[in-house]
Amino acid sequence: MFNLPIEGEQLLVLEFGDIVNYFSLYTATLFLFAATFIIIAVIAKPERQTDIVFGTDTVFTKEIDPEKLRFQRFMAIACGLATLGAVSSGDLFNFTLFTALIGITNIGIVAGVNNRYVLNAAYNYGIVAMTATVFLFGGAAMALGTCGTLSIWELAGKGLVPLGSKVFLVLGVMGEGMAPFYIAKAEITRAPGAPYVLMIHVSSLLIFLRVIEIILTV
Amino acid sequence: MDFYQFGLLITLICVLISFFALFREKDDIHKILIVDLIETVGLVIVCLVATDLAEALVLPGLVVGLSELLMLTELYIRKENLPLPVVKPIKIEVMRMAPPIIATVLVIYGIILSGFTGGAVAGLGLVFFFLSKGYEERFVLLETLSGYAWAIWILGFFIFMIIPQAWLLAVMLSGGAILLKVTTKMALIGTMREGQDV
Repeated sequence: MFNLPIEGEQLLVLEFGDIVNYFSLYTATLFLFAATFIIIAVIAKPERQTDIVFGTDTVFTKEIDPEKLRFQRFMAIACGLATLGAVSSGDLFNFTLFTALIGITNIGIVAGVNNRYVLNAAYNYGIVAMTATVFLFGGAAMALGTCGTLSIWELAGKGLVPLGSKVFLVLGVMGEGMAPFYIAKAEITRAPGAPYVLMIHVSSLLIFLRVIEIILTV
Repeated sequence: MDFYQFGLLITLICVLISFFALFREKDDIHKILIVDLIETVGLVIVCLVATDLAEALVLPGLVVGLSELLMLTELYIRKENLPLPVVKPIKIEVMRMAPPIIATVLVIYGIILSGFTGGAVAGLGLVFFFLSKGYEERFVLLETLSGYAWAIWILGFFIFMIIPQAWLLAVMLSGGAILLKVTTKMALIGTMREGQDV
Protein backbone atom coordinates (compact mmCIF):
# COMPACT_ATOMS: atom_id res chain seq x y z
CA MET A 1 0.00 0.00 0.00
CA PHE A 2 2.95 2.39 0.54
CA ASN A 3 4.92 0.64 -2.26
CA LEU A 4 6.95 -1.11 0.40
CA PRO A 5 7.62 -4.86 0.42
CA ILE A 6 6.33 -5.40 3.97
CA GLU A 7 2.79 -4.06 3.89
CA GLY A 8 0.72 -6.11 1.48
CA GLU A 9 -2.70 -5.00 0.30
CA GLN A 10 -4.61 -2.07 1.74
CA LEU A 11 -7.76 -3.33 3.43
CA LEU A 12 -9.32 -0.50 5.45
CA VAL A 13 -8.56 3.17 6.07
CA LEU A 14 -10.17 5.28 8.80
CA GLU A 15 -9.21 8.95 8.92
CA PHE A 16 -9.09 10.98 12.13
CA GLY A 17 -7.65 14.25 10.87
CA ASP A 18 -4.02 13.66 9.94
CA ILE A 19 -3.90 10.47 12.00
CA VAL A 20 -5.01 7.67 9.73
CA ASN A 21 -5.79 4.27 11.19
CA TYR A 22 -5.23 1.66 8.52
CA PHE A 23 -5.28 -2.08 8.09
CA SER A 24 -2.85 -3.62 5.69
CA LEU A 25 -2.71 -7.35 5.08
CA TYR A 26 0.14 -7.50 7.63
CA THR A 27 -1.54 -5.61 10.48
CA ALA A 28 -4.89 -7.30 9.81
CA THR A 29 -3.21 -10.68 10.28
CA LEU A 30 -1.72 -9.54 13.59
CA PHE A 31 -5.12 -8.14 14.63
CA LEU A 32 -6.93 -11.42 13.92
CA PHE A 33 -4.23 -13.35 15.80
CA ALA A 34 -4.69 -11.17 18.90
CA ALA A 35 -8.50 -11.34 18.61
CA THR A 36 -8.34 -15.16 18.54
CA PHE A 37 -6.39 -15.22 21.78
CA ILE A 38 -8.80 -12.79 23.44
CA ILE A 39 -11.63 -15.19 22.63
CA ILE A 40 -9.56 -18.04 24.09
CA ALA A 41 -8.99 -16.01 27.29
CA VAL A 42 -12.73 -15.26 27.49
CA ILE A 43 -13.95 -18.84 27.12
CA ALA A 44 -11.07 -20.80 28.69
CA LYS A 45 -11.42 -22.31 32.14
CA PRO A 46 -8.34 -22.30 34.39
CA GLU A 47 -6.04 -25.23 33.88
CA ARG A 48 -6.02 -27.91 36.58
CA GLN A 49 -2.51 -29.08 37.20
CA THR A 50 -1.52 -32.47 38.47
CA ASP A 51 0.95 -33.05 41.28
CA ILE A 52 2.87 -36.30 41.52
CA VAL A 53 3.86 -37.41 45.00
CA PHE A 54 7.56 -38.17 44.85
CA GLY A 55 8.47 -41.85 45.07
CA THR A 56 4.92 -43.17 44.64
CA ASP A 57 2.39 -43.57 41.85
CA THR A 58 -0.10 -41.17 43.47
CA VAL A 59 -1.31 -38.26 41.35
CA PHE A 60 -3.35 -35.34 42.65
CA THR A 61 -5.40 -32.96 40.54
CA LYS A 62 -5.49 -29.46 42.00
CA GLU A 63 -8.90 -27.87 42.44
CA ILE A 64 -8.76 -24.29 41.18
CA ASP A 65 -11.69 -21.99 41.81
CA PRO A 66 -12.39 -19.80 38.75
CA GLU A 67 -13.43 -16.97 41.10
CA LYS A 68 -9.84 -16.71 42.36
CA LEU A 69 -8.55 -16.13 38.86
CA ARG A 70 -11.04 -13.41 37.91
CA PHE A 71 -8.43 -10.67 38.21
CA GLN A 72 -5.91 -12.54 36.07
CA ARG A 73 -8.56 -13.20 33.48
CA PHE A 74 -9.62 -9.55 33.38
CA MET A 75 -5.98 -8.50 32.99
CA ALA A 76 -5.46 -11.07 30.22
CA ILE A 77 -8.43 -9.68 28.30
CA ALA A 78 -7.25 -6.11 28.90
CA CYS A 79 -3.81 -7.10 27.66
CA GLY A 80 -5.39 -8.54 24.52
CA LEU A 81 -7.33 -5.34 23.91
CA ALA A 82 -4.16 -3.26 24.36
CA THR A 83 -2.46 -5.53 21.84
CA LEU A 84 -5.31 -4.94 19.38
CA GLY A 85 -4.76 -1.21 19.84
CA ALA A 86 -1.00 -1.48 19.38
CA VAL A 87 -1.20 -3.46 16.15
CA SER A 88 -3.91 -1.31 14.55
CA SER A 89 -2.79 2.18 15.62
CA GLY A 90 -1.75 4.59 12.88
CA ASP A 91 0.04 6.97 15.23
CA LEU A 92 3.52 6.52 16.67
CA PHE A 93 2.62 7.90 20.10
CA ASN A 94 -0.57 5.82 20.36
CA PHE A 95 1.54 2.78 19.57
CA THR A 96 3.93 3.60 22.41
CA LEU A 97 1.05 4.22 24.82
CA PHE A 98 -0.58 0.89 23.97
CA THR A 99 2.77 -0.83 24.36
CA ALA A 100 3.19 0.71 27.83
CA LEU A 101 -0.34 -0.48 28.66
CA ILE A 102 0.64 -4.01 27.59
CA GLY A 103 3.52 -3.81 30.08
CA ILE A 104 1.18 -2.77 32.89
CA THR A 105 -1.39 -5.50 32.16
CA ASN A 106 1.38 -8.12 31.85
CA ILE A 107 2.40 -7.37 35.41
CA GLY A 108 -1.27 -7.56 36.40
CA ILE A 109 -1.51 -11.08 34.98
CA VAL A 110 1.60 -12.22 36.83
CA ALA A 111 0.86 -10.41 40.11
CA GLY A 112 -2.30 -12.52 40.57
CA VAL A 113 -0.08 -15.43 41.59
CA ASN A 114 0.65 -15.34 45.31
CA ASN A 115 4.17 -16.70 45.28
CA ARG A 116 7.26 -14.85 46.43
CA TYR A 117 9.47 -15.90 43.51
CA VAL A 118 6.81 -15.03 40.98
CA LEU A 119 6.21 -11.64 42.58
CA ASN A 120 9.95 -11.00 42.63
CA ALA A 121 10.20 -11.74 38.92
CA ALA A 122 7.19 -9.49 38.26
CA TYR A 123 8.85 -6.71 40.25
CA ASN A 124 12.06 -6.93 38.25
CA TYR A 125 10.08 -6.96 35.01
CA GLY A 126 8.18 -3.91 36.25
CA ILE A 127 11.42 -1.98 36.67
CA VAL A 128 12.57 -2.97 33.18
CA ALA A 129 9.16 -2.02 31.72
CA MET A 130 9.23 1.36 33.46
CA THR A 131 12.67 2.23 32.17
CA ALA A 132 11.56 1.08 28.72
CA THR A 133 8.84 3.75 28.61
CA VAL A 134 11.63 6.36 28.51
CA PHE A 135 12.86 4.90 25.22
CA LEU A 136 9.33 4.47 23.87
CA PHE A 137 8.21 8.04 24.56
CA GLY A 138 11.67 9.37 23.70
CA GLY A 139 11.59 7.63 20.32
CA ALA A 140 8.14 8.98 19.48
CA ALA A 141 9.06 12.47 20.72
CA MET A 142 12.26 12.55 18.66
CA ALA A 143 10.28 11.53 15.57
CA LEU A 144 7.83 14.36 16.32
CA GLY A 145 10.67 16.83 16.88
CA THR A 146 12.37 16.11 13.56
CA CYS A 147 9.37 15.40 11.28
CA GLY A 148 6.62 17.52 12.84
CA THR A 149 4.04 14.72 12.70
CA LEU A 150 3.40 11.37 14.35
CA SER A 151 1.16 9.92 11.67
CA ILE A 152 2.60 6.73 10.20
CA TRP A 153 0.43 7.32 7.11
CA GLU A 154 2.18 10.65 6.39
CA LEU A 155 5.67 9.44 7.26
CA ALA A 156 5.41 6.17 5.31
CA GLY A 157 8.06 5.57 2.68
CA LYS A 158 9.75 8.96 3.14
CA GLY A 159 12.55 7.83 5.46
CA LEU A 160 12.38 11.06 7.45
CA VAL A 161 12.43 9.50 10.93
CA PRO A 162 16.02 9.56 12.26
CA LEU A 163 17.84 6.36 13.05
CA GLY A 164 18.13 7.29 16.74
CA SER A 165 14.36 7.46 17.05
CA LYS A 166 13.97 4.02 15.46
CA VAL A 167 16.63 2.57 17.77
CA PHE A 168 14.80 4.05 20.76
CA LEU A 169 11.47 2.55 19.64
CA VAL A 170 13.00 -0.91 19.24
CA LEU A 171 14.76 -0.66 22.62
CA GLY A 172 11.50 0.37 24.27
CA VAL A 173 9.57 -2.53 22.75
CA MET A 174 12.38 -4.87 23.81
CA GLY A 175 11.95 -3.71 27.39
CA GLU A 176 8.17 -4.07 27.37
CA GLY A 177 8.27 -7.35 25.48
CA MET A 178 10.77 -8.84 27.93
CA ALA A 179 7.99 -10.49 29.99
CA PRO A 180 8.28 -14.07 28.57
CA PHE A 181 11.88 -14.24 29.82
CA TYR A 182 10.77 -13.46 33.35
CA ILE A 183 7.97 -16.01 33.00
CA ALA A 184 10.49 -18.67 32.09
CA LYS A 185 12.69 -17.56 34.99
CA ALA A 186 9.92 -17.82 37.59
CA GLU A 187 8.27 -20.88 35.97
CA ILE A 188 4.92 -19.12 36.01
CA THR A 189 3.60 -21.52 33.38
CA ARG A 190 3.47 -24.09 36.21
CA ALA A 191 1.60 -21.78 38.58
CA PRO A 192 -2.22 -21.71 38.66
CA GLY A 193 -3.86 -19.69 35.90
CA ALA A 194 -1.80 -21.09 33.08
CA PRO A 195 -4.14 -20.28 30.15
CA TYR A 196 -4.08 -16.57 30.93
CA VAL A 197 -0.29 -16.45 30.95
CA LEU A 198 -0.46 -17.25 27.21
CA MET A 199 -1.57 -13.69 26.57
CA ILE A 200 1.81 -12.38 27.74
CA HIS A 201 3.62 -14.38 25.06
CA VAL A 202 1.10 -13.39 22.40
CA SER A 203 1.28 -9.67 23.18
CA SER A 204 5.08 -9.72 23.31
CA LEU A 205 5.30 -11.46 19.94
CA LEU A 206 2.79 -9.12 18.31
CA ILE A 207 4.37 -5.85 19.49
CA PHE A 208 7.74 -7.05 18.21
CA LEU A 209 6.22 -7.82 14.81
CA ARG A 210 4.43 -4.48 14.74
CA VAL A 211 7.50 -2.39 15.68
CA ILE A 212 9.46 -4.10 12.91
CA GLU A 213 6.72 -3.06 10.47
CA ILE A 214 6.78 0.50 11.80
CA ILE A 215 10.53 1.02 11.58
CA LEU A 216 10.63 -0.45 8.08
CA THR A 217 7.74 1.81 6.99
CA VAL A 218 8.60 5.23 8.43
CA MET B 1 23.77 22.23 16.33
CA ASP B 2 20.48 24.00 17.07
CA PHE B 3 18.81 24.50 20.42
CA TYR B 4 16.67 21.33 20.23
CA GLN B 5 19.60 19.07 19.50
CA PHE B 6 21.65 20.65 22.27
CA GLY B 7 18.82 20.10 24.75
CA LEU B 8 18.37 16.54 23.54
CA LEU B 9 22.07 15.84 24.10
CA ILE B 10 21.90 17.20 27.66
CA THR B 11 18.76 15.14 28.38
CA LEU B 12 20.34 11.96 27.04
CA ILE B 13 23.32 12.55 29.32
CA CYS B 14 20.83 12.85 32.23
CA VAL B 15 19.21 9.56 31.13
CA LEU B 16 22.63 7.91 31.11
CA ILE B 17 23.44 9.20 34.60
CA SER B 18 20.11 7.96 36.01
CA PHE B 19 20.58 4.55 34.32
CA PHE B 20 24.02 4.32 35.89
CA ALA B 21 22.42 5.04 39.27
CA LEU B 22 19.86 2.27 38.66
CA PHE B 23 22.54 -0.26 37.80
CA ARG B 24 24.51 0.56 40.96
CA GLU B 25 21.50 0.43 43.29
CA LYS B 26 20.83 -2.92 44.94
CA ASP B 27 18.03 -2.07 47.38
CA ASP B 28 14.55 -2.69 45.98
CA ILE B 29 12.75 0.29 47.45
CA HIS B 30 15.47 2.70 46.33
CA LYS B 31 15.17 1.23 42.86
CA ILE B 32 11.55 2.42 42.75
CA LEU B 33 12.66 5.97 43.54
CA ILE B 34 15.38 5.95 40.89
CA VAL B 35 12.99 4.51 38.30
CA ASP B 36 10.64 7.41 39.05
CA LEU B 37 13.55 9.77 38.41
CA ILE B 38 14.20 8.04 35.07
CA GLU B 39 10.53 8.47 34.11
CA THR B 40 10.74 12.18 34.81
CA VAL B 41 13.83 12.55 32.64
CA GLY B 42 11.98 10.62 29.91
CA LEU B 43 9.18 13.19 30.03
CA VAL B 44 11.78 15.92 29.48
CA ILE B 45 12.54 14.40 26.04
CA VAL B 46 8.86 14.88 25.15
CA CYS B 47 8.80 18.40 26.61
CA LEU B 48 11.83 19.42 24.52
CA VAL B 49 9.75 19.34 21.32
CA ALA B 50 7.80 22.31 22.76
CA THR B 51 4.77 22.36 20.47
CA ASP B 52 1.06 22.11 21.30
CA LEU B 53 1.08 18.45 20.29
CA ALA B 54 4.02 17.72 22.59
CA GLU B 55 2.14 19.38 25.41
CA ALA B 56 -0.77 17.03 24.73
CA LEU B 57 1.63 14.06 24.85
CA VAL B 58 3.13 14.93 28.23
CA LEU B 59 -0.11 14.21 30.09
CA PRO B 60 -0.59 10.59 28.89
CA GLY B 61 3.12 10.02 29.46
CA LEU B 62 2.79 11.25 33.01
CA VAL B 63 -0.33 9.13 33.61
CA VAL B 64 1.38 5.99 32.33
CA GLY B 65 4.41 6.72 34.50
CA LEU B 66 2.29 7.27 37.59
CA SER B 67 0.21 4.13 37.06
CA GLU B 68 3.36 2.05 36.62
CA LEU B 69 4.80 3.58 39.78
CA LEU B 70 1.61 2.75 41.73
CA MET B 71 1.65 -0.77 40.36
CA LEU B 72 5.30 -1.30 41.32
CA THR B 73 4.75 -0.05 44.86
CA GLU B 74 1.68 -2.30 45.28
CA LEU B 75 3.74 -5.20 44.02
CA TYR B 76 6.52 -4.32 46.47
CA ILE B 77 4.05 -4.29 49.38
CA ARG B 78 2.68 -7.72 48.33
CA LYS B 79 6.16 -9.11 47.72
CA GLU B 80 7.54 -8.11 51.10
CA ASN B 81 4.26 -8.93 52.94
CA LEU B 82 4.25 -5.47 54.46
CA PRO B 83 1.27 -4.70 56.72
CA LEU B 84 -1.01 -1.93 55.49
CA PRO B 85 -0.76 1.14 57.72
CA VAL B 86 -3.77 1.88 59.91
CA VAL B 87 -4.77 5.51 59.44
CA LYS B 88 -6.98 7.24 61.97
CA PRO B 89 -9.63 9.44 60.36
CA ILE B 90 -8.78 13.11 60.67
CA LYS B 91 -11.03 14.87 63.14
CA ILE B 92 -10.99 18.42 61.88
CA GLU B 93 -13.71 20.97 61.89
CA VAL B 94 -13.26 21.71 58.15
CA MET B 95 -14.66 18.34 57.06
CA ARG B 96 -17.78 18.98 59.16
CA MET B 97 -18.36 22.52 58.00
CA ALA B 98 -17.04 22.61 54.43
CA PRO B 99 -19.71 20.66 52.44
CA PRO B 100 -22.72 22.90 53.20
CA ILE B 101 -20.67 26.06 52.66
CA ILE B 102 -19.17 24.91 49.34
CA ALA B 103 -22.57 23.62 48.17
CA THR B 104 -24.32 26.91 49.01
CA VAL B 105 -21.64 28.96 47.26
CA LEU B 106 -21.86 26.74 44.18
CA VAL B 107 -25.68 26.91 44.02
CA ILE B 108 -25.71 30.71 44.35
CA TYR B 109 -22.95 31.06 41.75
CA GLY B 110 -24.90 28.70 39.44
CA ILE B 111 -28.07 30.78 39.73
CA ILE B 112 -26.11 33.94 38.90
CA LEU B 113 -24.49 32.28 35.88
CA SER B 114 -27.81 30.76 34.63
CA GLY B 115 -28.15 28.70 31.48
CA PHE B 116 -26.32 25.46 30.78
CA THR B 117 -23.17 26.36 32.70
CA GLY B 118 -25.16 27.68 35.65
CA GLY B 119 -27.23 24.50 35.80
CA ALA B 120 -24.05 22.49 35.76
CA VAL B 121 -22.49 24.46 38.59
CA ALA B 122 -25.66 24.43 40.73
CA GLY B 123 -26.22 20.71 40.13
CA LEU B 124 -22.64 20.09 41.02
CA GLY B 125 -23.07 21.92 44.30
CA LEU B 126 -26.25 20.00 45.17
CA VAL B 127 -24.88 16.58 44.31
CA PHE B 128 -21.70 17.38 46.17
CA PHE B 129 -23.75 18.25 49.24
CA PHE B 130 -25.99 15.19 49.09
CA LEU B 131 -23.14 12.81 48.46
CA SER B 132 -20.97 14.23 51.21
CA LYS B 133 -23.77 14.52 53.77
CA GLY B 134 -25.59 11.34 52.71
CA TYR B 135 -26.24 8.35 54.90
CA GLU B 136 -23.76 6.01 53.32
CA GLU B 137 -20.80 6.17 51.01
CA ARG B 138 -21.50 4.27 47.83
CA PHE B 139 -18.16 4.13 46.09
CA VAL B 140 -19.32 1.43 43.68
CA LEU B 141 -22.12 3.67 42.42
CA LEU B 142 -19.73 6.59 41.98
CA GLU B 143 -17.19 4.46 40.14
CA THR B 144 -19.83 2.96 37.84
CA LEU B 145 -21.28 6.37 37.07
CA SER B 146 -17.82 7.77 36.41
CA GLY B 147 -16.99 4.87 34.09
CA TYR B 148 -20.18 5.28 32.04
CA ALA B 149 -19.63 9.06 31.86
CA TRP B 150 -16.13 8.45 30.54
CA ALA B 151 -17.43 6.05 27.87
CA ILE B 152 -20.12 8.51 26.77
CA TRP B 153 -17.54 11.29 26.58
CA ILE B 154 -15.34 9.20 24.28
CA LEU B 155 -18.44 8.31 22.22
CA GLY B 156 -19.07 12.03 21.78
CA PHE B 157 -15.52 12.45 20.43
CA PHE B 158 -16.00 9.60 17.98
CA ILE B 159 -19.22 11.18 16.69
CA PHE B 160 -17.25 14.41 16.11
CA MET B 161 -14.66 12.53 14.09
CA ILE B 162 -16.86 10.17 12.08
CA ILE B 163 -20.18 12.04 11.55
CA PRO B 164 -19.36 15.76 11.97
CA GLN B 165 -22.94 16.65 10.85
CA ALA B 166 -24.27 15.39 14.20
CA TRP B 167 -22.12 17.88 16.12
CA LEU B 168 -24.99 18.99 18.36
CA LEU B 169 -25.55 15.44 19.62
CA ALA B 170 -21.81 15.06 20.17
CA VAL B 171 -21.60 18.33 22.14
CA MET B 172 -24.58 17.37 24.30
CA LEU B 173 -23.24 13.86 24.95
CA SER B 174 -19.75 15.00 25.90
CA GLY B 175 -21.07 18.01 27.82
CA GLY B 176 -23.43 15.89 29.92
CA ALA B 177 -20.84 13.19 30.43
CA ILE B 178 -18.13 15.61 31.52
CA LEU B 179 -20.60 17.14 33.99
CA LEU B 180 -21.24 13.68 35.48
CA LYS B 181 -17.55 12.86 35.52
CA VAL B 182 -16.57 16.09 37.27
CA THR B 183 -19.48 15.73 39.68
CA THR B 184 -18.44 12.25 40.75
CA LYS B 185 -14.86 13.42 41.13
CA MET B 186 -16.06 16.32 43.29
CA ALA B 187 -18.29 14.00 45.31
CA LEU B 188 -15.26 11.92 46.25
CA ILE B 189 -14.02 14.90 48.25
CA GLY B 190 -17.11 14.57 50.41
CA THR B 191 -16.31 10.95 51.24
CA MET B 192 -12.97 11.52 52.88
CA ARG B 193 -14.17 10.64 56.37
CA GLU B 194 -13.68 6.94 55.67
CA GLY B 195 -17.29 5.97 56.25
CA GLN B 196 -17.41 7.29 59.81
CA ASP B 197 -20.17 9.53 61.15
CA VAL B 198 -21.32 10.54 57.69
